[in-house]
Amino acid sequence: MIPILSLSVFLPLIGALILLAMPRASATQAHAVGIAASAATLILALVMWSRGVVAGEFVQVEEIAWIEAIGAAYRVGVDGLSLPLIGLTALLFLLSFIHQARSQDRARSFVILMLMLETASIGTFAALDALLFYVFFEVSLVSMYFMIAGWGEEGRQRAALMFFLYTLLGSLPLLLAILGMFLASDPWSFDMRIWIDDAPLGGAAAMAALVAMLFTFAVKIPVFPVHTWLPAAHVQAPTVGSVILAGVMLKFGTYGLVRFALQMLPDAFAAAGNVVLIFGVASALYGALVALAQSDLKRLIAYTSVNHMGYVVIGVAVAALATDPAMRAVALDGAILQMVSHGLVTGALFFLVGMLKERTHTREMARMGGLLKPVPVLGWSFVLFAFASLGLPGLAHFPAEFQIFLATLNVAPVAVISILAIVVTAGLYLRAIGLVFLGEPDARWQALPDLDRRDLVVLVPLVLLTLAIGIAPGWVLSVIHVTTSAAGF
Amino acid sequence: MSRDLSFLLPELVLMVTAALMLAGEMIRRPRLVLGIGLVGLALATGLAWPLLKADTTVFGGTYRIGPLAVWSKLILLPATALSLLLARAELAGKFREGSVYSLMVLVSIGALMLAGSGDVMLLVLGVVLTGLGSFALVAWPADDPATEAAMKFLVFGSVAGAVMVYGLTFWFAGAGSTLLSALTGIDRAPVLAAAGLVGLLVGLGYKAALVPFHFWAPDAYEGAPVSVAAFLSVVTKVAAIFALAQALSALPVQTGWQWAVAVIAAISMTYGYLAALVQSNLVRLLAWSSVAQSGYFLLGLVAVGGGALARESLIVFAAAYAAMNIGAFAIVLIGGRDMEAIGGLGRRAPARAAAMSVFLLSLTGIPPLFGFFGKALLFGAALDAGFLWLVVVAILNSVLALGVYLRIVVALYAPAEAAQPAPQAGAAVSTVWIVTLVITLVMGVLTRLLTG
Repeated sequence: MIPILSLSVFLPLIGALILLAMPRASATQAHAVGIAASAATLILALVMWSRGVVAGEFVQVEEIAWIEAIGAAYRVGVDGLSLPLIGLTALLFLLSFIHQARSQDRARSFVILMLMLETASIGTFAALDALLFYVFFEVSLVSMYFMIAGWGEEGRQRAALMFFLYTLLGSLPLLLAILGMFLASDPWSFDMRIWIDDAPLGGAAAMAALVAMLFTFAVKIPVFPVHTWLPAAHVQAPTVGSVILAGVMLKFGTYGLVRFALQMLPDAFAAAGNVVLIFGVASALYGALVALAQSDLKRLIAYTSVNHMGYVVIGVAVAALATDPAMRAVALDGAILQMVSHGLVTGALFFLVGMLKERTHTREMARMGGLLKPVPVLGWSFVLFAFASLGLPGLAHFPAEFQIFLATLNVAPVAVISILAIVVTAGLYLRAIGLVFLGEPDARWQALPDLDRRDLVVLVPLVLLTLAIGIAPGWVLSVIHVTTSAAGF
Repeated sequence: MSRDLSFLLPELVLMVTAALMLAGEMIRRPRLVLGIGLVGLALATGLAWPLLKADTTVFGGTYRIGPLAVWSKLILLPATALSLLLARAELAGKFREGSVYSLMVLVSIGALMLAGSGDVMLLVLGVVLTGLGSFALVAWPADDPATEAAMKFLVFGSVAGAVMVYGLTFWFAGAGSTLLSALTGIDRAPVLAAAGLVGLLVGLGYKAALVPFHFWAPDAYEGAPVSVAAFLSVVTKVAAIFALAQALSALPVQTGWQWAVAVIAAISMTYGYLAALVQSNLVRLLAWSSVAQSGYFLLGLVAVGGGALARESLIVFAAAYAAMNIGAFAIVLIGGRDMEAIGGLGRRAPARAAAMSVFLLSLTGIPPLFGFFGKALLFGAALDAGFLWLVVVAILNSVLALGVYLRIVVALYAPAEAAQPAPQAGAAVSTVWIVTLVITLVMGVLTRLLTG
């Protein structure tokens, strides 16, 4: 029996170790190792996908004893919540390596950091041991810090420091909550499955743990008003850094919100559900409105993440408040699918902004204009993903947001005002498309090269998946639904 | 008697080693002195290993052979050996370098005595024995800064020692015995218990560089050779913390000592990191950081009064702290004492810069490095003892810590000024940073070996 899940967690790390052992590796060799390791990881993720999940339990479970004295062990496994996210992670990392492959700037170090980040990301979604989860969760911070600080743009040192301080301050309350649940479990254990089946905390202690967790995940998601690190980090990060940050790392927050807050503290979450809902609605509206005010294209997309993740928070809060299990499953299906859709669409948008910046050397929308003529393929791709991002039917966000709003209308009808954010998002994307791509092109832009083959290799899988989820979401939703509809989720 | 002595084999080996080292120094053979020291320390560590299963006392309860005492040997003796190697790298060829080696081994005997104390007299003896050697070590360079630092250290130490002895006599009055195990009933005489507690905290707090008894530490570390600073910040500090654990585990919690310790912990962490934030001299920065790290140790001490995980957390964090702190000092020894000196080390010597980043992130408590597991256990121990507020303070300080240590990381990866050559590093110091790096990297995953 091959431990496929552990292999997919540690293959990238093995790639990083191989590169570490090759101090004289050329940029080409480094990129080759990165692409090979992440491609192999994606294949393993696809194998896991083909095996599917089972209702009410984790599959592909692998366990090794670790620190017996305190009941911590290496435990990993997947269910319908984590499996789609692992697939998304493996795909985005492979595409990022392909996109990055032309870079010559300290390629070996960059690839090592990226591979460490991939192990940390997949590990975060796969961990079934709270201590292990926390380890992976934090390791991702270190890699991202060095990536922003080393390869970012003008103000990178400040942005990197802010990112690290903010998210470390954010994640330490989670450690407190984990330790609290650990000390309350009998016998002592960090096994998340035990905590999910039989919540160790109750009453005021559960509420305190929930507040600590919500703080951690709110910073990570990010939820208004603790989102301020996000635009700074995104604007300064290199393109693939932004892709991974938005596509994968923001999902740590929403994943934790479901896995820890909702599953381990269901009663406390139900009691606080309305508060969480308010923060979700505020994020959705605020993210859209602030995005409307941006003139920097990358910042604009960064703020739409706040908006989209706000919908996820609404979905999870509605699931916590729902009394009807069917409605609860609808809300969770929507929230989890929204995570996947956001990873695909926003990942693609950050790739496109990076490709635009490579060509025009600016991110200011006012300085571009008329780009649809010189770079039609790039332009139409952007238009497609912009429409996907604003929730057009037939594209990836629609089935997710539809389910979230359906459940919201049933459980907490007032919160449906967040649907106004979609109108704002539509407006801001149309404005952006008009500013950047329509009109007469400036003479400077006449000779811009359109997307080359490598760019297409990066974008085509994302286009196909965005369409596939938009038109027939059943193939993803069926996996998610197996888990969310099970009793006791 | 022979039973008791069989438990003391590591200490006996060390005493013979120290005597032989002094003899070697008399005939001016520093390499021989170093060799004897390393072999003696290795032998003593090996002899301590079988004692791990023991949990007993010798000499009528005055000296404890339990997990804390034995682990102190297994942690502090290798740490002393690494300090010897650092000293060799720093001082090779200087006049009387062998005396540094022999003094370090002598101080390590005192440190073991402190960590295994079962009796008030032994505590005092341990403080004096480690103190005498430490003063001489700090003064060793015999230049103005070192002399000044050693004077401060000595004066401060004499006063703290006097207060300690005076305070501990109250315990004797209350308990009728100098044995620490006799303290269990002392809460019936709260004034005597409090007076003794003050003496204990002053004396050992000074040794562990806890706020407000820390004033000597930045000056002494800065004046002393870097290797001595590394040695003092690890060996005598951990010994003092373990000695506190030995004493406080017998003291009834009704005396309120947990609160005194918790307050000192909170102040030490916060003040240590705040002061470290503004340092540009790396040795001073690490001195202040070690003040803050002492505060973290106290989270485990609070739990000694009745909470699980106390012993495990102290042992794991002591091992982690020894590795990462000595490692950081080793890189400072290679790269230079100033923030500017190590600027751009990332380009000139990438492996050493990466190692320094690992040590600093581990000191911050970032997983999966060794320091994280130590801190997580400390947090768990304090939480279990009911000191949630202290854990919250510690957590907030972890963010401050990140600010302190990332300043160095940022400097490491700053663009190099000019094409400076990579700093030279001999085999001795390379051994130290590689060994401590491996421990910091992999022992976190293997923490189970220390908690069995």
